[in-house]
Amino acid sequence: MSKMFLYVLKRVLLGLLAIFIIITVTFFVMHAVPGGPFLSEKAVTPAVTAALEAKYGLDKPLGEQYLTYLKDIILHFDFGPSLKNRGRDVIDIMTDGFKVSAKLGGTAAICAIFGGLTLGSIAAIFRNKFIDRIIMIITTAFVAMPSFIIGTLFLMFFCVKLGWFPANGDAAGGTILPVITLMLYPMSYITRLTRSSMLDVLGQDYVRTARAKGVGNMGVIFKHALKNACLPVVTYAGPMLAFIVTGSLVVEQIFAVPGIGRRFVSSIINRDYTMIMGTTIFLAVLIIVMTLLCDIIYKLVDPRIDFDK
Amino acid sequence: MKKAVSILLAVLMALSCVLVLTACDGNNDPTDPATNGDATPVAQSLAVCLASEPDTIDPALNSAVDGATLVIHAFSGLIGYQQTADGNLELYAECAKEIPEGTVGEDGKVTYVFELKDGLKWSDGSDLTAADFVYAWNRAASPLTAADYGYMFDIIDGYAEMNEVDDNEELVNPDAKLNVTADGNKLTVVTTVEVPYFYELLAFPTYMPVKQSVVEANPDGWATDPSTYVSNGAYTMTEWAHDSKIVYTKNENYYNADAVTMDTIEFYLSDDANNMLANFKNGDWLFIDDVPNAEMAALEADYEDEYFVEGQLGTYYVCFNVNKSLLPEGNTLEGAEKEAAEAEIRSALGLLLDRNYIVEEISQAGEVPASSFVAMGLTEVDGSEFYKNAGSSEEYFGYYSTAKDAFESNCATAVETLKKYYTYDEATAKFTNFPTVEYIYNDNQGHQLIGEYIQQAFAAYGITMTLTSQEWNTFLNTRKNGEYNIARNGWLADYNDPISFLDMWITSSGNNDVQFGKDAHADLAVYSVDLTELGIDYVVENGTWAETYDYIIGLVKSSTDAELRYALMHVAEDLLMSTGAICPIYYYTDVFMCDDAVSGWFSSPLGYKYFMYSTVAE
Repeated sequence: MSKMFLYVLKRVLLGLLAIFIIITVTFFVMHAVPGGPFLSEKAVTPAVTAALEAKYGLDKPLGEQYLTYLKDIILHFDFGPSLKNRGRDVIDIMTDGFKVSAKLGGTAAICAIFGGLTLGSIAAIFRNKFIDRIIMIITTAFVAMPSFIIGTLFLMFFCVKLGWFPANGDAAGGTILPVITLMLYPMSYITRLTRSSMLDVLGQDYVRTARAKGVGNMGVIFKHALKNACLPVVTYAGPMLAFIVTGSLVVEQIFAVPGIGRRFVSSIINRDYTMIMGTTIFLAVLIIVMTLLCDIIYKLVDPRIDFDK
Repeated sequence: MKKAVSILLAVLMALSCVLVLTACDGNNDPTDPATNGDATPVAQSLAVCLASEPDTIDPALNSAVDGATLVIHAFSGLIGYQQTADGNLELYAECAKEIPEGTVGEDGKVTYVFELKDGLKWSDGSDLTAADFVYAWNRAASPLTAADYGYMFDIIDGYAEMNEVDDNEELVNPDAKLNVTADGNKLTVVTTVEVPYFYELLAFPTYMPVKQSVVEANPDGWATDPSTYVSNGAYTMTEWAHDSKIVYTKNENYYNADAVTMDTIEFYLSDDANNMLANFKNGDWLFIDDVPNAEMAALEADYEDEYFVEGQLGTYYVCFNVNKSLLPEGNTLEGAEKEAAEAEIRSALGLLLDRNYIVEEISQAGEVPASSFVAMGLTEVDGSEFYKNAGSSEEYFGYYSTAKDAFESNCATAVETLKKYYTYDEATAKFTNFPTVEYIYNDNQGHQLIGEYIQQAFAAYGITMTLTSQEWNTFLNTRKNGEYNIARNGWLADYNDPISFLDMWITSSGNNDVQFGKDAHADLAVYSVDLTELGIDYVVENGTWAETYDYIIGLVKSSTDAELRYALMHVAEDLLMSTGAICPIYYYTDVFMCDDAVSGWFSSPLGYKYFMYSTVAE
């Protein structure tokens, strides 16, 4: 276990270094991009711009702003006020949005993994039978179709034509369609992964041994084969997370879900500097933590993997 | 371990299906007002969607149209808008007892004395007095508040002193205040000149009162929290679920609460027009303020009674940078002659565009082809439309004809003009030495389509124009700094007075994207004005932009004679259009949808929507 502790510690330290680099690069690149947070179609007077810049400390030299920013987040965990949404702190906006997005993305991720494992196993068991063909056709379609198409189709069909679900993502039952839209691609991908690795595993000696010892079909699949078959799925979990985070951006927009996804883009368009930093750091931490978790799970599922490497 | 993982997998798999249903079940609202109570009258509730999360709903800080609608539902100013029986809008005394006449002093300053209605209250039950207006106005006008619309107070005496800065951008008079005083229920306001749109300004959100103690307790956050959003209008904010919805509930302390028919308004927040439309179509939202461009034509046909196209005080136009040359290589013209040629060329290029085609086939939102910069809808002293009196032609409004049958002759005129400066190949009917120009627009499909049309229209005459799309903030920056050749542009007025279109082109204006009077253009002495006909002894021949345009706008701003003011504004627009640097495309319209079950609402030409006196039929 101490090996594992060292491994995690090393990864955490590397993660912190990565976050530091990300903060630094983002901070300076963001200020180098033309435009500014107080630019609007209708120009404000120079006195107003000066007052705003003084209020948010943007009148100071860039290096000083950078050091102040670092100090605030490290010592006080203070991400500052949003420059666009007057009177709101970045941390509040992110917390509100993240609660919604986490529920959406988390549900989609879990459903995608277990839906995909189930369908993939079924397809493998009924290899080349009718049900396998159906599953493969459907999953191919969903892998090929981008989420903005699926989302828009769902919106038109289930919300407008049939009226089964509200089109407003924040209403009762309103997150069902966004979750499904978000999970279809990773679920289909996992289904295909599981099917091929399951077919591979089912042909191996230890499975034949299990069958010879009289273990039933279900027992073979769930008790013996599935665990090995889901190794590629664990590998895929990292990229899937990235997909879900970026996918939530589109899906939240289509279904008007009050999540954090839309902030990734709007903060940049608005040059809302503090918000850009906040969302970037948040995304970096999320991906670093989730990748680490995936690696640990990988180890738990497959003891052959060595932390030393 | 092995077994545990296997069991875990199997259990989680089963759980996953359940999860979709449970985790997704959002906020169930058990108290739907529509279905409540049999004996008592059904409480009226309206679900609308204007836009996404507003940046702010602080009356002083807001500068957005959707934010303004939210502000006018929560606050009431000295003067407000109401709908007359014939459907027109008129100003009426809201917090004031009546609309007073101003008294002009010897120095030309005008004093207005407003008396507030008796017993006005804030939504928290405390008394509202004239001092609240004094506080709110000084706050909004102060550069320290940094309000986008602080300049709306520039007609009030004292504003200039308040906003004066020295060379280091430091305030010269940090303690200066507006010349506005309170005495109990009496509010005395002094304006620098008599302006016809003063009463209209008083109905503008920036002029709404705010409660000093509440604002000072939390200057940045008071307007984001329902418990501190103390207001004096028809509604109070009772909920703000960020990025989701804002709920307004009738304010029983509003002086005219009995007349307010809509008990609750839910302002849903969405930034996606397709999503809004889906919510409108399935009946969840009864009003949506944005419609997907691609669907407009179909919706207009399918929802005849629920699809609205209203006039808006704005112009979509193309602007040319006056400091960038369009003349062919090797041209030797210089100074005044060169600028005269450039102006002719720019005007000619404008004539090559078929504005009817743009509004009918591209933008498709019922816009009106434009032939002047000051938009349709702005009126003169006598109530006639300013744009109809623009230009000197007897046959058409504005500076060229936008009639469909005039397009061919417009093009012919343009070609004749361009032949003076470029080589024209009669065989191909194309110009051969027109330099390649660049058109920039902000990343948006609508702007792109119009850009492509212009490109194609110019290409027909051998003029190559490249298109460059820029991300919004970069675009604003590029345009303001004059780092472009030709750019897409648009302007929406803040009040019904042509000066809101014309004063943006003075040299020092922050909106002077064309770069009039800047850099090389500053020394160009090519403009002539003669104001003797208007009774003003001012004649300039071959003057600079500052000597002509800036001077005229200065006269307009200090003029106390309403008719002279408008005459001067026509002179200013004539001069502006003679440069050819402004190429109007169409006058904006406001397109929105409202369910036919809703009645009693109205909208203003500034795009504000009023729902307080609306009702929803069962």
